Amino acid sequence: MTLHLLNRSPQSEGVYRDLREAFGDGDHLLLIEDGCYAALSSGRDAVAAFAGRVSVLKEDLVSRGLEGRVDGAIEVVDMQGFVDLTEIHQRSVSWF
Amino acid sequence: MNSTSGISPATTAIDAPQDLLIVLRHAPHGSSWLREGLDVALVAAAFGKRVGLLFQGDGVFALLQGQSSGPLAQKGTHPQLAMLEMYDIEHLWVSEAALAARGLPVDSLMLPVTSLEASRIARLMHSHPHTLIF
Amino acid sequence: MAINTARVLNVEGRSVALDPEGYLVSLDDWSPAVAEALAADDDRQLTAEHWEVIEVLRDFYRRFEAAPAMRPLVKAVRQALGEEKGNSLYLMRLFPESPAKVAARLAGLPKPTNCL
Repeated sequence: MTLHLLNRSPQSEGVYRDLREAFGDGDHLLLIEDGCYAALSSGRDAVAAFAGRVSVLKEDLVSRGLEGRVDGAIEVVDMQGFVDLTEIHQRSVSWF
Repeated sequence: MNSTSGISPATTAIDAPQDLLIVLRHAPHGSSWLREGLDVALVAAAFGKRVGLLFQGDGVFALLQGQSSGPLAQKGTHPQLAMLEMYDIEHLWVSEAALAARGLPVDSLMLPVTSLEASRIARLMHSHPHTLIF
Repeated sequence: MAINTARVLNVEGRSVALDPEGYLVSLDDWSPAVAEALAADDDRQLTAEHWEVIEVLRDFYRRFEAAPAMRPLVKAVRQALGEEKGNSLYLMRLFPESPAKVAARLAGLPKPTNCL
């Protein structure tokens, strides 16, 4: 269905709220850029609604020093994984 | 017409997907996101695309009555909103939760809109072939 | 937004600045005499039919602070002047080439932003 890309930290609560409204069955969330901060255990509440359907981009984790700190429930994907996600979903939308 | 006002969300509006759905999430004046989203909507409509708008988050403030230009005469977005009808942009949806969180009754807005609960917003997105978020 | 003055038209003893595409630099400069001068500058003669469309455009700008693209122009003309005139054929005949752009220029509006 839809791949949602999100690049804001959980501090931007509004964008997480709006995404929760728009997130449908079969959708997937990929956390990129500052969205990576939601992949820490401290961001668990922000992404709880997307459990099992959320990934985080490895390259953006690495640059932020977050690679070893990701919550176990969130899948880490690299750039190739990002491309694969865009291919298996009908469309992508960006939240910022 | 499908763009109905009032409190009943049980309209057929959601079954009228357009060519393009534009999601407006930002308030007037504070940033240019709202204006840019509306510009894209108007350009697409000028080229004959059928465009629907979804107001979400602070984007619902775009629909407030009584807006004006800024203190330094910066243009507001309310004339663009009023102009949508001239571009045949008539499918206007709004997040029921965003309105409720801001204490805005749906019938107090400057344009007739259809308010949608969360599950219907997800369906609205899935029913459109293209979605752009601003 | 700084707009360059490309040339100046002399109308009834006043200087009216035009931008590189021939639109008014200052929208406040407009008057019916300026419209006549802009039309003459284009080798056009304004008739009553032209004038009623110009008035529709000026009303559109007062309401929406923007110059319309072709589709909304047709709609505005249809609403104000009826089906016979609210169609692109009629407007193309009155303002050959590009009615939205030509008529906006004569009406003293900025160039329509949402059109090619």
